[in-house]
Amino acid sequence: MNVSGNEKMSRRTFLDYLMGFGLLAWLGAVLYPIVEYLKVPKQTEAAPSSVVAGLTKDFKPNEGKVFRFGNEPAILIDTPDGKLKAFSAVCTHLQCTVQYRPDMEKIWCACHGGVYDLNGRNIAGPPPRPLQEYKVVVKGDDIIVSKS
Amino acid sequence: MNNESKLMRWFNKRYDLSPFEHFAKEKKVPDFKGSFWYYFGGVSLFLFIVQVVTGILLLMYYQPGAQTAYESVRFIVTKVEFGWLIRSIHSWSANLMILSVFIHMFSVYFTKAFRTPRELTWYSGFLLMSLTLVFGFSGYLLPWNTLSYFATKVGTEIVGVVPVVGIPLMEILRNGSDVTTATLTRFFGLHVAVLPAVFTVVLGIHLLFIQVQGISEPESWKDIPESKKNHIPFFPNFVLRDVLLWLIVLNVLAILAVYFPWELGHKADPFASAPAGIKPEWYFLFMFESLKFLPSKFLGLDGEVVGVMFFGLAGLLWFLIPLWDSRTPKGSRNKIINYVGIAVVLYIIILTTIGAR
Amino acid sequence: MDQKILFGLPLLFILAFASGTQAQKSQTVDKCYSCHRDIGSDEAQAYKNDIHFKAGVTCADCHGGDPTVEDQDAAMSPAKGYIGVPKASAIPQVCGKCHGPSKTELKEKFRLDDVMDDFKASVHGRALSESNDGPQCVSCHGIHNIVSIKDRRSPVYPTNVTKTCAKCHSNPNYMKKFNPGLPVDQYEKYLTSVHGKRNQSGDPKAATCVSCHSNHLIRAVKDPRSPVYPTNIPLTCSKCHSNKMYMAEYHIPTNQYDNYVQSVHGIALLKNSDLSAPACNSCHGNHGAVPPGAASVASVCGTCHQANADLFDKSVHKNAFAKAKLPGCVVCHSNHLVKPPSDKMIGFGSASVCGECHKDNSSDSAASTILVMKTTLDSLTNGQKDASALLAHAEQLGMDVSDASYSLRSVNQSLVESRVQVHAFAIAPVVSAAQPGLKIVADAQKSALGAINEYYFRRKGLGVATLVITLLVVLLYLKIKQIERKSRQ
Repeated sequence: MNVSGNEKMSRRTFLDYLMGFGLLAWLGAVLYPIVEYLKVPKQTEAAPSSVVAGLTKDFKPNEGKVFRFGNEPAILIDTPDGKLKAFSAVCTHLQCTVQYRPDMEKIWCACHGGVYDLNGRNIAGPPPRPLQEYKVVVKGDDIIVSKS
Repeated sequence: MNNESKLMRWFNKRYDLSPFEHFAKEKKVPDFKGSFWYYFGGVSLFLFIVQVVTGILLLMYYQPGAQTAYESVRFIVTKVEFGWLIRSIHSWSANLMILSVFIHMFSVYFTKAFRTPRELTWYSGFLLMSLTLVFGFSGYLLPWNTLSYFATKVGTEIVGVVPVVGIPLMEILRNGSDVTTATLTRFFGLHVAVLPAVFTVVLGIHLLFIQVQGISEPESWKDIPESKKNHIPFFPNFVLRDVLLWLIVLNVLAILAVYFPWELGHKADPFASAPAGIKPEWYFLFMFESLKFLPSKFLGLDGEVVGVMFFGLAGLLWFLIPLWDSRTPKGSRNKIINYVGIAVVLYIIILTTIGAR
Repeated sequence: MDQKILFGLPLLFILAFASGTQAQKSQTVDKCYSCHRDIGSDEAQAYKNDIHFKAGVTCADCHGGDPTVEDQDAAMSPAKGYIGVPKASAIPQVCGKCHGPSKTELKEKFRLDDVMDDFKASVHGRALSESNDGPQCVSCHGIHNIVSIKDRRSPVYPTNVTKTCAKCHSNPNYMKKFNPGLPVDQYEKYLTSVHGKRNQSGDPKAATCVSCHSNHLIRAVKDPRSPVYPTNIPLTCSKCHSNKMYMAEYHIPTNQYDNYVQSVHGIALLKNSDLSAPACNSCHGNHGAVPPGAASVASVCGTCHQANADLFDKSVHKNAFAKAKLPGCVVCHSNHLVKPPSDKMIGFGSASVCGECHKDNSSDSAASTILVMKTTLDSLTNGQKDASALLAHAEQLGMDVSDASYSLRSVNQSLVESRVQVHAFAIAPVVSAAQPGLKIVADAQKSALGAINEYYFRRKGLGVATLVITLLVVLLYLKIKQIERKSRQ
């Protein structure tokens, strides 16, 4: 009787210990991701957005900026006469990324020297087609670019 | 055991815990072949807790706003350690919670647990279910992706159909005439502040009613003697079973999150045209689908108006079941109540299936 | 203006001569002709030799009136349909009586074509409808002295037609009225062309204005139906230049068109309708068409391939090619059969062009440059391929690698730029253009591998968590059983 009682006791305590261990392991499994989650991420803030190409105050006439639009680069240009224009920045020749050349007042591709005017038309060099133009809407300070 | 009682003694010296102890000891749960359904209340509660925990965690990085909402969720999913897990669990748990709430509601319905004296529990439960749906609807928009944007647009449009109050109500919901980032801010506030507060209060009341009245016994026990009724103690037996189930649910959530990570989709573009096949979340599908089947004109009214009013009325009748149930023959096999219930369940299942195709 | 009267468009051949004598007889009873001849009018004098005179066309056929009446007033009365000198804009109608769509005896007899409708649809017809000054039949074919187009004296005979067109097209004051933007130097340029020189030396086979622009149905160059619309030019030139018999006496190849249609340029223009792709005239000039000399090849190609031409001009090949009289770009890329360039062209492989001049051993100091350029390009292309395969794999596993995929796009830019830099024929420019691309490739590969590792880490982590939870579930189950057993005791 005594022996069996002891056995029962020990089995119970064993189960309890095991339960305690399991509980600890479970707590670890739950807390580990949470603690990791709360650690400072490598990049501390969400990357700037895609649709808003910039703020009006950041742009002067005769200036251009390449920004990410979806999964493709696009270019926003403040033309010399102060109009905002946006185009796909993918050169229609061999898909290089075009840039704005303030000295030429044109869009220029470094790869083969293709040139587009400020309406996106291919005017020199090898590009076969104009750049796709996007719609630019200014809302408050935000310059919002969208596919029209 | 010794430690536990030591702790209890420490508390007992300072506060009189004996009423609680007594309550815990006395509380019993009926044990019969339908008692499996009792667990869905607990599962719903557990999923709510998961939602609170993961929701608070998401709040650490989420930023509402046109230029940050989508980007911050993307950031959470791709850049934050285990962000993908937290976000996926939050999304999956939300869906499982709605499912579990529905199951809980129908089990209460079919076991007639809403009958006197538990009408108030039913009313508060119905309120909780409605809040859960609003939770789901408002949370769906927060990642600001194409699907959620257009689903919200369609969803709020349906509100606008309601005669007289529809348009103003829709504008209040949208914070303007269209779904914009102003809507996002509004939904965010609703989702993380208003709803949790209200939900917690109503949930507290709901649980209090249950504790005060005890768990409802099946109708079939009405005529059998006390001695033949099987009960299990609430504490620790039922609680431990609850915990067991919760653990399994947690594991299911983890498996779902790892193997079927919740997709983020593409960022919403308010200027783009709506993609084909825009659908609301599955729990609204049956209503959405019904509206599609309605003729454009019905009794001189717009088909949609009729549909929306019909669902409003049906919801009200469902909410008021304890009132009209008292006018039907009582008993566990109340044919009217059962037929209505079965019809509703079948209707929801069939239309959801059609809509999901 | 008074001089501009009557008649157009002779397409008549020997038939006209055969019936000449008989026709001349009938003309003698024509009172208009006999009277005007007798008073010694220039028109009547000239008309004697006109092809229409020989065919029996009378004055009244064009001017109206009654040729049978002696009395001048009666013969030339408007009541008899006399119209005098037809207005310029009415001339196509007058000529069109026979040269138009309607059937007449003469039209049948001489098998005349309907050229009036063609003319009306042409740019010239349009100009005429806008202004009475516009060109019409007689502007090119003359009046009263019209001869067969086969006749060397005809203003539209090949050796004369260019001058005939130039009458108006080299006159800026006249052209301004119709198309101020149109150049007026075509004739001048034409005289400098191979076609023009042969034409001047009396060769009727050399191309003239009408060879390319057609005759009556001349359409604007920007009209896609025009034979000189960019996409039609190669075929237009090939009409003569691919004709072995026709070109035999000139001893030049006739395979240009066949080569061109297979070239990048031909495919771009003809298959993809890319109007910015060059047709024959883009390199050879149009009115002043000549083969570009060896020295000017690079500048001709450079009009489009600017960056490459600039690099070439500064490279060692510039002088070396000039000394050897080698035609620049064409040496490696060929002329009409320009194939899409490939990295295989560099190096000493079977498809390489370097090996044509250079040797793959230490005796040639260029060998190492060639090999370094090749390896640089190859490592970039292979790296890009590997990285995108890895990223695709990661994506397939459901991992988000859009940032890396996005940055991998710019590898293409680096690759294109370093391919362009090959035309400097030196190591440094190629390597420095490839450098950013190689870095992006390395980063992309790293993040792809990271994502793939993360994928397996998640699965393993889930495994561990599941194990822990299962253990706990089992223990809990045992505990519940234990408690229930105890409470039942």
